[in-house]
Amino acid sequence: MGRILFSLLLAGVFALPVFGQSLQSRIESYKLANGLKVILLEDHDIPNVALYTFFRVGSRNERPGLTGVSHFIEHMMFNGTAKVGPGQFDRNMEFVGGANNAYTAQDMTAYSDWFPAAALEKMVEMEADRMQGAAFVPEVLESERGVVASERRMSTENNNAAILMENVNATSIMAHPYHWDVIGWMSDILSWKREQIQEYYKTYYAPNNAVLVLVGDFKKSTAKSLIEKYYTPIPSGKTPSAVTTVEPPQQGLKQVLVKKEAQAPLYMAVWHTPSVSQPGFYPLSLLDKILMKGESSRLYRRLVREERIALDVSGGIQETLDPYLFTVFVEAVPGADLGKIDRIVEEEMGKVVREGVTEKEVQKAINMVQNDFYRPLQTIAGLANALGQAELVNGDYQKLFSLMESYKAVTPDSIKAISSQTFTLNNKTVGNLVPEGGAQ
Amino acid sequence: MKRAIPVLSLLFLLLLPLAAAQPSRGMLPLPETIRLSNGLTLFYVRVPDLPLVSFRMVLPGAGSAAEPMENEGVSSIMAELLTKGTSKMKAEDVAEALDSLGADLKIYTTPEYMAVDADSLASQFPRLLELTFHSLQDPLFATQEFDLVKSQRIDGIKAIKDNAGYAVRLYFQRAYFGDNPLGRLSSGNETSLNTMSVEKVKDFYKARVTPRGAYAAVVGSLSSQELKALLSKTLGKWKGAGSPAAPLPPPPQPKGKTLILVDKPDATQAYWVLGAPGYSANDPVTPSAAVLNTLFGGRFTSWLSTELRIKRGLTYGASSRFQTFLSGGVFTASSYTKNDKIAEMLDIVFSLFEKAKSGFAPEEIESARNYIQGQFPPTLESNEAIAASLVQLMAQGKSFSWPDEYLRGVSSSTPETVQAAAKRLLPAQDYVLVVVGKAAEIEPLLAKYGEWKVKKITDSGF
Repeated sequence: MGRILFSLLLAGVFALPVFGQSLQSRIESYKLANGLKVILLEDHDIPNVALYTFFRVGSRNERPGLTGVSHFIEHMMFNGTAKVGPGQFDRNMEFVGGANNAYTAQDMTAYSDWFPAAALEKMVEMEADRMQGAAFVPEVLESERGVVASERRMSTENNNAAILMENVNATSIMAHPYHWDVIGWMSDILSWKREQIQEYYKTYYAPNNAVLVLVGDFKKSTAKSLIEKYYTPIPSGKTPSAVTTVEPPQQGLKQVLVKKEAQAPLYMAVWHTPSVSQPGFYPLSLLDKILMKGESSRLYRRLVREERIALDVSGGIQETLDPYLFTVFVEAVPGADLGKIDRIVEEEMGKVVREGVTEKEVQKAINMVQNDFYRPLQTIAGLANALGQAELVNGDYQKLFSLMESYKAVTPDSIKAISSQTFTLNNKTVGNLVPEGGAQ
Repeated sequence: MKRAIPVLSLLFLLLLPLAAAQPSRGMLPLPETIRLSNGLTLFYVRVPDLPLVSFRMVLPGAGSAAEPMENEGVSSIMAELLTKGTSKMKAEDVAEALDSLGADLKIYTTPEYMAVDADSLASQFPRLLELTFHSLQDPLFATQEFDLVKSQRIDGIKAIKDNAGYAVRLYFQRAYFGDNPLGRLSSGNETSLNTMSVEKVKDFYKARVTPRGAYAAVVGSLSSQELKALLSKTLGKWKGAGSPAAPLPPPPQPKGKTLILVDKPDATQAYWVLGAPGYSANDPVTPSAAVLNTLFGGRFTSWLSTELRIKRGLTYGASSRFQTFLSGGVFTASSYTKNDKIAEMLDIVFSLFEKAKSGFAPEEIESARNYIQGQFPPTLESNEAIAASLVQLMAQGKSFSWPDEYLRGVSSSTPETVQAAAKRLLPAQDYVLVVVGKAAEIEPLLAKYGEWKVKKITDSGF
């Protein structure tokens, strides 16, 4: 845990400026000549370090035929370089007491390493090595292709909720690369060519397209000289071309039906929304809590408790670089009439548009956001992840410290205004998953 | 994701003790102990870093193992209903109050205990603890709320069966434990749910939910004085007539092979869990077994993961774990693969069991020791992790220095102690294996392992 707060907060007073200043003043951030952005925060509570590397690449940067390749490269980053043999990255790291994981999203790919302080140099060396050194050994590549195909079967094809989401998102978004899921289409997974993968890797895996975040038990001066030593020799790459496709406005209700072996039907509705940097994002983010977070939320109360037509309700809006979707996902009770669920969802969205929400509901949503905001900051890993995500998605890690201000500026009126633009029939896509066979 | 981390193994990690990085100080901060006159023991640690407070409590004997089989699921329903209204507040009011705080309150049961997890901003914690207290002291158990939960549970069982990866765990639990109390399904079953009544729920509550013998922990920025003032208005006033349960029987010791195939005709992968006897929470084999499991199936470069995923690309994930109870334990290994690869995968798993019994290389042992020690400090980094660890150690009859002892045990484990653990704990002839998949494609491949009992996923029960 970081000792990042002082007396005001200890007294239980919520004072963001203090939180921001005390933490911000301890962070050091700079860029190497090759464009690598570095963010450092010393925190000596536990004898460990969290090292996170973020690349500005995700499914947003892909194209048909290469869908899923960002995620596949995430896997191949553990499968060998000229210096470190296939699988050796993990073996070396575990031998010194470290562990790692990685994730790929629409807008970013992140690599997370958690290790004892003594392993710092080894880890910086290995991370720098694989920034441009991944070998894509043909046999290893084929084996890993099987792993990712298995991942898709598990996480999408054998998961009714995921298969419905994939269908609905692809129906709603027709032009922008958010059309496909991060995992990619199975036929693409099975047919990416080695040269295509390498070309993609070369384009996006460069210091000028990356952010390095270190939080934990180290001396800043030591960390800086290690970063200097191992990262300075890496040449910067060409600036990757911008994603220019803009999703055209939707011109009428879209519907999609998925028939699957299932015991329980599923319902989903989405509406196009602003991106994280556009006006309306934070009002919609609070609205998703008012509608769907907690048992007192409007849709939960109506669908699960009053009508008893659903087992659960979830969804909301995501922080994305380009405009994405506001989602309502309903796990229906077996045998439920999905048309009735749609009518109720439409009614509830209509109420928000016509009557708005109350001050009290806005305050409740802000309390939820505050609790969720602080909890991850207890750990060095949570801090590293939050700083890196803010740098990539919000454009600057310092925005982390004003995030709560953006939420506090939301009013019932601003929620009503963006809702009346968003929740129209022309902007909506509805998906149903209904059982084909299986017990109803 | 490079790999999914199973939730179960994270929970298990929390239960594990850790390596001593600072010899002067233990891994766990030593708490202030507050004994309340009603029999509740509470531990308090001040962590002033962030304006957050976490509360954890366990009630030994109020878990699912105290359910008679015919009432399977009753403890879990009882726990859920505790937050669904008191004599002074309707369920909607409780939900509104909790959500308004932005707080989380979860009450649930494990086989050995009922657990309460409550987290909030420090400024909201007094109100959160008050709501928690009223939920424990004065639950309404309204018929209307019971009916809703009951119908959700009945529908929930059907929904579980749509996800083969989840369903296989419940089929395994049933096959392994049978009617042994440690194997009660928190979901309940069709028969027990249909005959469930609000009276049975109230009876379970009265018999089991008591502050006597319970352990709680508060970790966060609250001061000791604030906490004590708060306790006198809340948990200090908690009365409960229930009595701690009798010790539980050990988990089953399967003899011979039990093979179960569950037919899910639309599955494109076959999911399996294999289980055999493990060791108890207080068994001295614990550190060597932790090293063994780290090497066998507990981390990314484990043998299971290396052979099934890294070398052959058969699966996205393969792992093993030891689940421990006070009275014994269970070893499980699990994975999934394309239907036509299931036998190739299982053959490798069986060969790895045998290989492990012939021992690990000294460098492997060293690597696993480093790994367990290096990954331990982050498991006690957050308020909630410290609080959970404090109460779980007490519920297991251990001391707060147990993490340090455990880590010393890990440091001193050797190829010999780990090999001995492998010989004792990895399955040979006696095990339970459950596969969920498309029978038309996998049944012929599985025939060589012996006689399979085949079920349909649409059949009632697990």
